[in-house]
Amino acid sequence: MFQIISAIVVRRVLLAIPTLLLLSLVVFFVLRILPVDPLGMLLPASATPADAAALKQQLGFDKPIPQQFVIWLWAAINGNLGTSLNFRQPVSHLMMAALPATMELSLVGLLLALLISIPGGMLAFMLYQRKREAVADLAVALMQSIPSFLWSLLLIAAFGVRWPILPFSGRVGPEVALPGLTGFALIDLLLTGQFQGWISALTHLVLPGLALALGLAPLVIRVLRSSLIEAANEPYVEVARLRGLSESRILWRHILKNAALPTITMIGVQFGFLFSAALLVEMIFGYPGIGNLMVQAVKGNDLPLIQGIALIFCVLMLAITVVIDVLYAVLNPRMRKL
Amino acid sequence: MSAIDLGASSDTRSGRPSVVRGALVRLARQPRVWVGGVILLAAMLLAVFAPHIAPHDPLDQDLLHMLAPPMWAPDGSSAFPLGTDGLGRCVLSRAIYGARVALTVAVIAAWGSMLLGSTLALLGGYFGGIVDRLINYVVDLWMSFPPVVLSLILLVGLGTGVDKVVLAVVLVDWTRFCRVVRADVLVTRRRDFVLAAQLLGFSHWRTMLREVLPAVIPLMITLFSIEMGVAIIVEATLSFIGLSVPPAITTWGQMLADARNDMQSAPCVLLTPVACIIVTVLACNLLGDGVRVALDPRLRQRVA
Repeated sequence: MFQIISAIVVRRVLLAIPTLLLLSLVVFFVLRILPVDPLGMLLPASATPADAAALKQQLGFDKPIPQQFVIWLWAAINGNLGTSLNFRQPVSHLMMAALPATMELSLVGLLLALLISIPGGMLAFMLYQRKREAVADLAVALMQSIPSFLWSLLLIAAFGVRWPILPFSGRVGPEVALPGLTGFALIDLLLTGQFQGWISALTHLVLPGLALALGLAPLVIRVLRSSLIEAANEPYVEVARLRGLSESRILWRHILKNAALPTITMIGVQFGFLFSAALLVEMIFGYPGIGNLMVQAVKGNDLPLIQGIALIFCVLMLAITVVIDVLYAVLNPRMRKL
Repeated sequence: MSAIDLGASSDTRSGRPSVVRGALVRLARQPRVWVGGVILLAAMLLAVFAPHIAPHDPLDQDLLHMLAPPMWAPDGSSAFPLGTDGLGRCVLSRAIYGARVALTVAVIAAWGSMLLGSTLALLGGYFGGIVDRLINYVVDLWMSFPPVVLSLILLVGLGTGVDKVVLAVVLVDWTRFCRVVRADVLVTRRRDFVLAAQLLGFSHWRTMLREVLPAVIPLMITLFSIEMGVAIIVEATLSFIGLSVPPAITTWGQMLADARNDMQSAPCVLLTPVACIIVTVLACNLLGDGVRVALDPRLRQRVA
């Protein structure tokens, strides 16, 4: 088992290297065709053209684009992603501070999405068996038409403003100071024993997490439902029935277990969707994660920061592909023999 | 062979119009196609005739009537059927004008991504080999970006404006068409009528356009419809962030952003743009689902 996993990881990582190089190349060149001057905001109103040229030279924007790319790439390999133009801080610092927040939110969103979509998918499957699939189809189609950022606004309007029961801004209340050990608020506050703070962090995650989950859930429900239908038609289900197992046992032990595989793959594929959704959800909830940073960077034409974040997103996506591949191998007995 | 030429332009071969008619009959029997189609048609009419339908100019500010409630509320007035926003602009008029940008982006961007994605899918799927692998690699590469991140990067590079938003959607979403259509082309390419066409000595072009393409058109219609919904969401998202269009053009995303600023005093202003987006996107999804359900079983029957 360990051998198979390490083989998958090695092969995937080797394949990921050229992909990453090409992706950073694409990002770099797209950003260099931009019509606005990223340096405009850095210069005082009284700056002369000579000042602008000096700044350009200092930041390396005067060199030809291929040369800029090589310089940037070499520094990036050595862990230096440059300095943000607007924040005047190293890009890697800004990202390291924001990354755990995004991961925490995404994981909570994923967990809530599973809590919604596993019962939802099974309900849709049962409705299908009773020839009532039109109801389920319409409900899923409706859910699919509401993206996470609309859910965010609706949830804020309902549970933040109309009935103010949950907080909807930031990671924790103003009275709580984050210890900053791992960067995951829920873990840090628990480790330092700040129970009040932990509750505060948890309640702050409810609405953004729910917004993410409600956007992701219909996709999972759809796949789970069709995998359940497919698994229910397999011969082993008939065999189990002939052996006299109860219908609920067949559903839980045989059908659901086999339907889990395509569903997990689907969730892996949809991580890009999750990150995209998280980006907007973070912005709307003023949640200090990578997505929020990205929106600020884009609005301020902060090239080094945009490049760094794009790179981090690509690394995350590739890492998730590896995790999904490994999970697939662990869960699917047919994959274990190489 | 001619039975496959679904939707290709009429008359040269006999028997084809009946196939098209058969497909239309199946479509007409799908309630989803009707609901989705009627909603979209209505939205398009509203968008086209917006200046005649909207009670006010979408940019007119009536500072005496800021955040007015809708007309059915106790102190609402029929001058502003859905009330006004924080600057005293008529919400109904803004919603109607917003449909213009949303549907323009939806239709053009969906066409663009369909053309780009399906062309590459057809080339790759039909010829196979190095062309196919190259196209596939680019699709994989593209898909390792989260879509919103990619469109944000593109908009930074391209600048803002409706045309740029369309371009960004096309450049992000062509992969969706490419991947799905290619799989269908791979299956179709091995079918007897394509082999027959090749044996008859038809050129690759002719085989591709007259034999393979018509067989994947139902799938393309489904994807087109769903893509319209995606494009509407992307446009709303980008204009919500403030990257889509200048403020002088009204969009649903801008209405959302404005409503968000006034959320504390009037949370209900939010509901109109939210409802507009959900209903239009739902219509696109229903239409796409309906087309798939109506036309897919036919395809499966033919394979069997």
